Amino acid sequence: MKALRIVDLKKSYDGKIAIDGIDFTIEKGEFFGFLGPNGAGKTSTINCITGIATHDSGTIEVFGVDVKKEYREARKLIGLAPQEFNIDFFAPVRKTLNYMGGYFGLRKKEREARVEQLLHLMELEEHADKQFRHLSGGLKRRVMIARSLVHDPEFLILDEPTAGVDVHLRHELWRYLEGLNSEGKTILLTSHYIEEVEKLCGRIAIINRGKIVAEGDKSEFVAEGKNLEERYLSITQGEGW
Amino acid sequence: MVNWVGLYTLIRREVERTVRVATQTLVTPWISALLYIFIFGSVVGRRIDTIAGATYIDFVLPGILMMNVITAAFTHSSSSLHFQRFVRHIEEVLVAPFSHVEMILGFVVGGVLRAVLVGGGVFVIALFFSAATVEHFLLFFFYTVSVAIVFALLGVLAGLWAQSFEQLSVMNTFVIMPFTFLGGVFYSIHMLPEKLQVIAYFNPFFYFIDGIRYSMIGIRESNATIGFIVIFAMMISLSIFVEYLFKKGWRLRG
Repeated sequence: MKALRIVDLKKSYDGKIAIDGIDFTIEKGEFFGFLGPNGAGKTSTINCITGIATHDSGTIEVFGVDVKKEYREARKLIGLAPQEFNIDFFAPVRKTLNYMGGYFGLRKKEREARVEQLLHLMELEEHADKQFRHLSGGLKRRVMIARSLVHDPEFLILDEPTAGVDVHLRHELWRYLEGLNSEGKTILLTSHYIEEVEKLCGRIAIINRGKIVAEGDKSEFVAEGKNLEERYLSITQGEGW
Repeated sequence: MVNWVGLYTLIRREVERTVRVATQTLVTPWISALLYIFIFGSVVGRRIDTIAGATYIDFVLPGILMMNVITAAFTHSSSSLHFQRFVRHIEEVLVAPFSHVEMILGFVVGGVLRAVLVGGGVFVIALFFSAATVEHFLLFFFYTVSVAIVFALLGVLAGLWAQSFEQLSVMNTFVIMPFTFLGGVFYSIHMLPEKLQVIAYFNPFFYFIDGIRYSMIGIRESNATIGFIVIFAMMISLSIFVEYLFKKGWRLRG
């Protein structure tokens, strides 16, 4: 089953093309790497999938559900941990998670139990009543991931989840994400740390100037004695796939 | 199907936001109203003859109350939406399973509840000056809530339109405040020169203030039917326009 199916997706901002007719699919249970230079169209694609932005044309389906026509069902299936801290800096962590659970329709008891479970899982218990602005960078990243998981989505989108995180926490997050993936969650990961994508992802797509310029299994990228970073650089510098 | 739990959470968050900064959102307008009532109603009012048969304090209190309801409803929805857009945590709402109408309702109900809290406080303060009376309770309720809805919707519009906090204050300074003051908060429009009286009838704020004044002290200077039409027309047209903008994603969804 396809967790994500994108067909001929187009998006422009004030006449400037951000996504130029891309197509790709992600199978259920995959750990998928979505790479590209800054401004290539990664976040625009993610925004179209999640509803933060509206696409001009094309189709996006999550587990067969159209994100425009059946937006309520589609959004329940998606969890997003964005690159930027798009969060209420003055709200305590527990409250933020609680609100988010409410937005997704979780009733009080279920919501509170889920929030406590996530606080425990992400080792945020002692910080639960602190305002987000008072947390360290690493803790903030954990909150962002916890928030994306509140409604237990099937499809998780992580837009640079380890940016600005120290090595120890990065490894911790990797272990946690691998655990989620082994439990059956489908994950789309973008990252500027190529070794992170190489370690975690089974399949990879590279977007450049709004077009998918390469897509395939990780093994296809690291063949011929080259590592992923070398292939990524050659592809994004226009040397072809 | 309506996302009831989500909608309740949106509204709860808006109310908790009001309470979190209660000094700014509730105490400040109450103190300001207390000063207005004391200075204009009590100190200055004692030296002013009755207006349309009412003492000056009785005459100005409904206007002061309505002014606070208008400001609270507008400020709440405009600043809440604008701040959420500014720090981008509106995206929490955008990725959740909400319809456009549910999102708008969250902001509008939040604004109306704050307006009712502020208005209720002003009413209680006025009790200490023996100035708070309600002659027609249902009309009092209608004017308070319907005008709060109108200004909460206008606030949502301003919150979408404004690209900076400075722009946000423009609406308040150049539209809300002058129209409110010129709508007869502190005077009867019959005190105005004849030509200005005609202009006053084209100021929708006049009907809001005059309507609540009638519900509180039974004095009316406008045609009630025109007042109802103005309120309903504004409520319906603003609802349709705001829903259209949300549906389009104007300044909301990139």
